[in-house]
Amino acid sequence: MSVEFMFIGKRTPRKDAEAKVTGMLKYTYDLEVPGMLIGRIVRSPYAFADIRRIDVSEAVKMGAIVVTPSDIPQKPYNPRLVSINEVTFKDTYILTYKPRYLGEPVAAVAASSEELAQKAAECVKIEFEKIYKPILDPLEAMKPESPRIHEKIMKGDKWIEVENNIAARLDYDEGDVNRGFEEADVIVERTFKTGKRYHMQLEPKAVLVVLEPGGKLTIYTTTQTIHNTRILISQLFDIPESRINVVRVPIGGSFGSSIQTNYLVPIAVALALKAKKPVKIAYTREEDILDHSNFVFHFKIKIGAKKNGVFAAAEFINILDVGAHQVQPYPLLGTSLGWFISMYKWKNIRYRGIAVYTNKVPGCALRGYGAPEVQWAVETLVDEIAEKLGIDPIDLRLKNYVGKGEIFWGQGPTVKSIIKSDGVPELLLKGKEIIRWSERGHPSEKKGRFRRGIGVGRGFHTSGAGGPISGEVIDYTGCILKLNEDGTLDYITALQDHGGGTLDAHVKIIAEELGIPPELVNIATASTETTPYDVCTHASRGTYVGGECARRAAQIVKQKILEAAIRIIGRVVNPEALRIGYDKELKQAVVYVEGTDIKLTLAEIARTSWQRNWGTIGAFVSYRATSAPPSFTVYYVEVEVDTWTGKVKPIRVVAGADVGTPINPDMVEGQLHGGFVMAWGMAFTENTAYDPLTGEIMGRGLITDYKIPTAADVPTPEEFTVIIAKTYEPTGPFGAKGLGEAAMNPAVAAILNAVYNAIGIRFYELPVTPDKIIEALKEKGELEW
Amino acid sequence: MMYVIPEDIEFIVPVDLREALELVNKLNNVKALAGGTDLVVDLKTGRFKPKYVVYIGGLKELRYIRDNNGSLHIGAVTTIQEILDSKIIAEKAPLLRAAAEKFAYWQIRNTATIGGNLCNASPAADTAPPLLVYEAIIKAESVRGSRLISIREFFKEPRQTALERDELVTEIIVPYKDLENSGYSYFKVGRRRGYDISLVAVACAVKVEGGVISDVRLALNSVAPIPVRAINVEKTLIGKKPSLEIIEESSKLVVYDISPISDVRAPIEYRQYMAKLLTREALLEALKKTGVM
Amino acid sequence: MKVKFILNGKPVELDVDPRETLIDTLRLRLKVKSVKRGCERGECGSCTVLINGNPVISCILLTIQINGAEITTVEGLVGDILLEKLAKNFIDNGAIQCGFCTPGILLTAYAGIKQGKIKKSEDVKEYVNNLCRCTGYVKIIEAIAKTADEVWGHER
Repeated sequence: MSVEFMFIGKRTPRKDAEAKVTGMLKYTYDLEVPGMLIGRIVRSPYAFADIRRIDVSEAVKMGAIVVTPSDIPQKPYNPRLVSINEVTFKDTYILTYKPRYLGEPVAAVAASSEELAQKAAECVKIEFEKIYKPILDPLEAMKPESPRIHEKIMKGDKWIEVENNIAARLDYDEGDVNRGFEEADVIVERTFKTGKRYHMQLEPKAVLVVLEPGGKLTIYTTTQTIHNTRILISQLFDIPESRINVVRVPIGGSFGSSIQTNYLVPIAVALALKAKKPVKIAYTREEDILDHSNFVFHFKIKIGAKKNGVFAAAEFINILDVGAHQVQPYPLLGTSLGWFISMYKWKNIRYRGIAVYTNKVPGCALRGYGAPEVQWAVETLVDEIAEKLGIDPIDLRLKNYVGKGEIFWGQGPTVKSIIKSDGVPELLLKGKEIIRWSERGHPSEKKGRFRRGIGVGRGFHTSGAGGPISGEVIDYTGCILKLNEDGTLDYITALQDHGGGTLDAHVKIIAEELGIPPELVNIATASTETTPYDVCTHASRGTYVGGECARRAAQIVKQKILEAAIRIIGRVVNPEALRIGYDKELKQAVVYVEGTDIKLTLAEIARTSWQRNWGTIGAFVSYRATSAPPSFTVYYVEVEVDTWTGKVKPIRVVAGADVGTPINPDMVEGQLHGGFVMAWGMAFTENTAYDPLTGEIMGRGLITDYKIPTAADVPTPEEFTVIIAKTYEPTGPFGAKGLGEAAMNPAVAAILNAVYNAIGIRFYELPVTPDKIIEALKEKGELEW
Repeated sequence: MMYVIPEDIEFIVPVDLREALELVNKLNNVKALAGGTDLVVDLKTGRFKPKYVVYIGGLKELRYIRDNNGSLHIGAVTTIQEILDSKIIAEKAPLLRAAAEKFAYWQIRNTATIGGNLCNASPAADTAPPLLVYEAIIKAESVRGSRLISIREFFKEPRQTALERDELVTEIIVPYKDLENSGYSYFKVGRRRGYDISLVAVACAVKVEGGVISDVRLALNSVAPIPVRAINVEKTLIGKKPSLEIIEESSKLVVYDISPISDVRAPIEYRQYMAKLLTREALLEALKKTGVM
Repeated sequence: MKVKFILNGKPVELDVDPRETLIDTLRLRLKVKSVKRGCERGECGSCTVLINGNPVISCILLTIQINGAEITTVEGLVGDILLEKLAKNFIDNGAIQCGFCTPGILLTAYAGIKQGKIKKSEDVKEYVNNLCRCTGYVKIIEAIAKTADEVWGHER
């Protein structure tokens, strides 16, 4: 669909750009209020222990405010409220006497300076009742003789027993898998394992809690959801929501690490309530690495295909290493299944998903929520099948992928929709030409020190978790749009911009709907008390769900503007004759009647409504999307493997995205660049390694040993091509879909498929560090030494 | 999880070298601070718990690069970026420049000092391999006078040098005369293409006279508790006619000069393998530069 | 301990705790918040400031080490022609996402271009090693290279 938009699709500067380049923008980390105390968390030095006593006498003597588990209501909770209560598993306590991972908060202090807080934290003495050997392997954890990391947890409002350290399960069957495999002509079965990645968002987690006069709480924190933060604190401390206000603050990146309310928020609230003073806690990077990281995924996947390339059956065993506490691995079992099922038409499926506790830092969603891992595994296997069958890998994909008209399972079994826009063939075929796929050669032909290879990866992500029926996931949003007295607009929403420019996208959508230049639409400050509920800015729903909500608000406002216009104009007999649009000369929105000289600027209408006491023109919208369409992405990557050192270099990248209508091409490209680079880190360097004896993160969690790519690691800009498919999503605002996670998901597969094409070796364990490549080449007999 | 440097450390800023030497003599349990890119982190994490920190990074008298006709004299507090930018070093001690180029990244180089890098005595010290090749001499001063320590005696253990309690490194002397007209090479391998701590780094200089190798020096870091010279490799090459075969054979002997460990950065096998590979490559590259191969 | 230095063109005299790092002096005492704390190991570059025109990591530098120096942060470069060029190219090219790394990268790029160390695209990868998790660096490299070309392009 080729439409000419006035503002959408144009490259426009971000509204917060100036604040960011001048260093004026304040993040939570930068906030200060007079009289505030600095809070520090006392963390367990053992990964699996029971505490007998915490002696805080010295800290108290110093004048510090101290809280221990005895000071806090011992209510188990789950920091992530996106799932409905019935399937929310609660095993976390604000502070605990039973730490289950090294670094778990057991006490907290607050004092008037960082120095004093540090000192106070250090003189808190912990006496241990029992120290256990940490369990770091989920298979170990599941053995009946292993000690139980948790004994009883809550699911919803019920207590349940935990058996064999299993946190949650999900099984699914479709068709007859055994028969499917019998009918298959070729079967491939592989085991995959990932490392434990860490988000490495540049801003470490922080919170500032202020007690207002009158006792209301104001909370500023690094979060993707101000509303869920408020609800959680309300539930934990039995404070009515009307007495808590969570303010949206710019955030220095997130990638899923703040979908849940971070542990430091309730701790800071507890300190503030006790101290009756504002309390700020800001993590060091070490603490941030101890606060959350990704899950570890263990997959065993078996795929069967017929000679003609049609898939016949698939079996997917998914063992998820949760870490010490649940931040909702249960929905992850569901989305992993959903991503898997929505990749290709398997025909017959068996899925067994088990989430297991270990004594590691709790896992939480990391950009893609299982999709990068699942799509890496699937795309590797699809390449293997293609090779076995002698079919071109691209043709095999085109033959089997789940596309237009088919059911898409986005966020798991309770979130299904029909795919209405699909740019996969366009992206696969166009990208194929640009990368010169036909020239990629075969690994057996490649010799010498430097070997190049080209690989492809195809994937997608959902745009939110909407659907016609309410399932296990809460997903709706809301916004307020109001016309100011001079014709400008205030747009108020609880959605957060992690950096991808989602709020700027909404502004353009509003501008397009009303014909008003985007400069005149203000992104208002937001807090829980001034915005309708939004579940969370995650699942790539910002543009698709938030943007559509904004568009509907703009539609309502448009209607009211036209009604006001009628009152002013008087002579127009039929309101349908009124048009609203952008006047290029006046650089404003105008209401006009075709064929006449009637023309009113929005500014005039606004001013008149004000002066004549007609009331405020505005809209209050709460919106639930009834669909969650996939955004498809395709990566073609050329790499060069140095077979002497095991280091890999990116040579060329073609990143294709089907986002429906791109609202801001700059941001689309930016997401693809960022997604690719994140995938590069996932493939080659990123892992938090645990000391097997102590359960401590090796390298002390200092990022010297958590390497993410730098500018020196990326391809040169000229070699990174972005292609955007010409599709239109009918259910999205002006045809748009999300991108944030799709931008990364299939890239790892493309990168490692390229490595295979270069050196003929596949890797099933991440990260593929240089020594692993050398080891593999040695086994293949291709090393010179 | 240190955020702040502990309170019971006293900081003193001497006005000149003499005062600094008196302080380190008079006081016990002292650490000298130059750039601080290692020491400040160590103070925060508690790796070191000195009673006193004497700041010498501001002493201009210790910051210079001079050509003394046959050797370079580098003040201990000269920054790595100054070394990288120096024309004298580029011309007379190119191996040192090569290491400076791969030293962390620009911001760190603007603060880190050559003296600090040596005194920190990390097994991965970037300036060590080239200085070992040049057979640099470390000038250590105290109130009792000064002495010269050969770089080959300087490193004792990880984070332990041959310095006496009251000594400060004031100058690094880099003799270059012997290695004029030599071929040289430097390789450093990290975990990614962006900057990194070295997994293995090799510095090499070789001289060919009358068709045979008359001098060959090879040094590595990160493959032993201290940076080392590959003497087993060197002695099999001296007096030999350079050829691919002899280079291949002698490179393999580097395993006798190193004792790497497995750690979170790399397993032992990779370090051994890379040590051999880089030794070979360093020799070939250095020989290529002499024009002989 | 008394220290004297120039911050963004204005003289500053303070009595600081000798253990105080420069980043804490700037952020907590002088309220210069553009200097960001992203790690405590000098690995991420978010705390970069210019000292006598050179980019330096401020989180592992003690304030007593910069006595007598000239310190520049982005707040002090508002109105500076080179910084305005850089900032404009960043904004126009979409090189800013969450913005946390932006001040550090702008300062590093500014110094690199000014000193003639950054004249073309390849130089950017050598001299700008600050970490960014959002952008994948491509647009940042382009924006800096474009600015460098505007300044040094006449040499070719």
